[in-house]
Amino acid sequence: MISSRKRRFQSCLVLVVLLLLSCLCWQWLVPFDPYAQDLGKALRPPDGVHLFGTDRYGRDLFSRVLAGGQLTVFSALAVVLTASVTGSLIGLICGYRPGKTATLLLRLADVFLAFPSMVFAIAVAGILGGGTFNAGIAIVLVAWPKYTRLACSTVLPLRHEPFIEAARMSGCTDGQILFQQILPLAVGPLAVTAALDVGTVIAELAGLSFLGLGTAPPAAEWGSMMSGSRNLLQSAPWTVLAPGLGIFLTVAVCQLFADALRDYVDEKG
Amino acid sequence: MHRMERIWKELGMAVLIGSILLLGGCGTKEAAREKGKVFHYGTMAYGPAMQNAGLDPHDSYCGWSAVRYGVGETLFKFDQNMHVQPWVAESYKQMDDYTLEIRIRDTVTFSNGKPVTGEAVKKCLEDLMKRHDRAPHDLKIDRITAEGQKVTIHSKEKVPALINYLADPYGAIIDVDAGIKNRIAVGTGPYVAVHVDDKGIELKKNEKYWGEVKPKLDRIVVRSITDGDTLAMAMQSGELDAVQGLPYESLKNFSDASKYRISSCATSRVYQAAMNFKTPVLQDNRVRQAIVMAIDKQQFVHVLLNDNGEAAVGAFPVHTDFGKGLHVPSYDLEGARKLLAEAGYTEKDADGYVMKNGQPLSLRWLTYTSRQELPLLAEYAQSQLKKIGIKLNVNATDNYKDFLKRGEYDIYAQAMVTAPTGDPEYYLMSKIASGQPYNNGYYTNSRVDQLISQLHNTFDRSERNRLAIEIQQQVLDDNAVLYVSFLRMSFVMKKNVTGFAAHPSDYYEITPELDL
Repeated sequence: MISSRKRRFQSCLVLVVLLLLSCLCWQWLVPFDPYAQDLGKALRPPDGVHLFGTDRYGRDLFSRVLAGGQLTVFSALAVVLTASVTGSLIGLICGYRPGKTATLLLRLADVFLAFPSMVFAIAVAGILGGGTFNAGIAIVLVAWPKYTRLACSTVLPLRHEPFIEAARMSGCTDGQILFQQILPLAVGPLAVTAALDVGTVIAELAGLSFLGLGTAPPAAEWGSMMSGSRNLLQSAPWTVLAPGLGIFLTVAVCQLFADALRDYVDEKG
Repeated sequence: MHRMERIWKELGMAVLIGSILLLGGCGTKEAAREKGKVFHYGTMAYGPAMQNAGLDPHDSYCGWSAVRYGVGETLFKFDQNMHVQPWVAESYKQMDDYTLEIRIRDTVTFSNGKPVTGEAVKKCLEDLMKRHDRAPHDLKIDRITAEGQKVTIHSKEKVPALINYLADPYGAIIDVDAGIKNRIAVGTGPYVAVHVDDKGIELKKNEKYWGEVKPKLDRIVVRSITDGDTLAMAMQSGELDAVQGLPYESLKNFSDASKYRISSCATSRVYQAAMNFKTPVLQDNRVRQAIVMAIDKQQFVHVLLNDNGEAAVGAFPVHTDFGKGLHVPSYDLEGARKLLAEAGYTEKDADGYVMKNGQPLSLRWLTYTSRQELPLLAEYAQSQLKKIGIKLNVNATDNYKDFLKRGEYDIYAQAMVTAPTGDPEYYLMSKIASGQPYNNGYYTNSRVDQLISQLHNTFDRSERNRLAIEIQQQVLDDNAVLYVSFLRMSFVMKKNVTGFAAHPSDYYEITPELDL
C-alpha cells in the first residue's frame, strides 16, 4: 500500500526529472535557434509559430526560455550543492569538535546570517563584478551558514550518545564516526533544506541578473532576459512574462518537491 | 498635586496638538507655493554620472545644466541649423587671424541686477580659462582686454571656430564677483537657481530678466530620474509635466495627442565604433571593411531605435554643411565574407567562426551602459558579426575607462556629440588626429593629419566644410570608425505645455517661452 505522502513525493520527483530533462535536452526541443536574431520579426506577440512571441531582436522567446533553463537551473544546483556541502562539513566538524576554532567559525556564520541575504549578495556581486560565476559565489557566501547551523545543531546532541561512544571504543576514527555514524542522521533535514533552497537560489540568481550583476546578455538567462526587456513591459509584455513564467514554474516545482521530500522523510524518519 | 499634574498633561497635550496644527500649516504653505505656475521636469541627462550636477559653467560639464535649465546664457547661441547667432553678445568682428572683437548688448544684466559689461565678460572668460579643463585647449586665449561694452580676445594661435567655441555651454556668462555658492552661479538667464544637489535643481523666475520675452513660470523643479521606466511612469501618473530621455519603447505610450505632445529633432549625437589599430587582426583593412559591411544601419535604426534616429554615413549628420556627399560600403554579408576569405580567413572552427593559421577571429567590443542604445548596438553587432564568422566578446561596463586605459579592447563603441559647436574641427581634432588622447582607435594617417592641420588654419567657412568632408571620406576609406546612427532626441510633455522644444544642439531646454 503506497502512502499518499510517498505518492506525492513520486509525482513531484517526476516533475523534477521532467524539468531537468528539458534543461538538458533543450537543443532538441527548441523550434528556433535561441540566439539567432531576425530584426524583421522583432516584438511579435505570441502566435502559433512563436508560442511566447519574439523579443526586440526577433529571437523566439519559447526557444530562449527553454535554453535559459539549463543555465538558470544548473547554476542554481551548483550553487546549492557548493553551499550545502561546504556549510554542512563546517557544521559537522564544529558540532563534533567544539573548541575555539569551532566557536570562531560559528560566530563567522552568525555574522553572515546577520545580513539580509539578497542585500549581502548584491554587495558581494557588486564587488566581484558581473557574471554567472561571480553571482554564484555571492549566493554561496550568503547560503552556507544555514547549513553550518543546521548540521552543528544536529551533531551536538549526538556526540555523547552511547552508539557514538561504542564506535569510538571499537577503534573507529573521527572521520569514520562523522561520515558513517553521524552524517546519515543529519542528511535528511540537510537534503530538505537544500531542496527548498534550489527555488530560492533560482530566484536570487535571476534577481542578480535582473540588476545587471549576474549573467550578461545575450545569454538566455531568465533574470537577464527580464532585465533586458523591462522597458517593454507596457508595449510588449510577453517579453517579460515569458522568462517570468520560466522562473515561476521552476521555483514552484522545486518548492513542491522540497515539501514532498520533507513529508516523505518525516514519514520514514 | 494630582490636579497640577493633570493641568501640565493637558498643557503638554495642547502644545503637541498646536505643534501638529502648526506643522500642518507649513504643509498648507507648501501647497500654497504650488499654486503659482510650477513646472515639474524629469530628465535622464542630469547627475554626477554625466558630470553636470551643478550650475557652475566653469566646472566640467555643469555649463550644460546652466544653459539647459535657463540659468546661464552664452555670448553666442546656435539656431535650428546650428549656425551661430549673437545672444549676450550683440555683434563680433574678426580683426585679424588672432584677434576677435565682441560687443556686448547694453541691456543684459545678471540675475542679481548688475549690468553685464565688457569687464564682467573679461573676468568670466579669465576664470573659465583658469578653472575649466577643456576650454583653454579649445579657445587658446592669450589675453583679453575690455573697454565699455567691448571685449577683445587675442589668441595664441589661429582659432577659426572661436565664436563657435564661445557658444559651448562652458562659455555661459556668469558674475564671477558674486562667486559660486552651493554649486549655484549667478547667470543672465530667465531663471535663478534656488537649490541644487545631485538629484535635481529648483529654480525660480528671474524677475530682472533682460530679454524681451519674460519668463512665465513661477517655479521649475528639475528632477534627475535615470531609470527609463520610472521616468515613463512618473510622466504617465501626471507627476511630471515634461520628460527628456524616455526609452524609445516608451514613446508609443504617449501617442495620445489629446493628452501629450512630443517634440523631436535630429542631433549630432552619433553611435560610433572605433577600430583599435593596435590589434594585429584589425590592421588589415579588409577585416575592418568586413565588419563595417556586416552592420545593417537602417535595420538598427528602424527596429532597435524605433526610427528615433537616422543611419549615419560619416561623423556628422547629412543635413549639416560638413556631412554631405560621403560614401561607405553598403550592407552586404556575402561581400563581407568574401573580404574575410581574401584576408586569409578560409577555415572555420566547430562553432562556425572563421580562422587563420588555426586561430579563430575573435574580437573584444568595449562599450558602456549609461546610454541605453549602446548595449543594444553591442548585442546586435555580436549577432551580425557571427553571421560572417567573427566572434565578438561584448564587454558592456560602466567601468570602461579602466579598460580604455589598459587598452583591453579591439573595438570601442561610444555615443558622442560630434558637432557640439556647430563646427567639425572639435571632433576631427580630438577623435581622429594622430596621438590625441581621445583617439581611442590609435588611428593615424599622415594625409588626414595634414588636412586637419589645414582645417585648423582655415577661416573660410566653405573651405572648412570641404576639408571636413575630405577628412571624413579618408577615415571612411580606411574603415577606421564605423558610424552607425545619429540620435533623434525627443521631449514628451503634457498637452498644456508650450514653448518647450527639442533643439539640435541639445543645449537649450528651459527658455523664457516655456509656459503651462
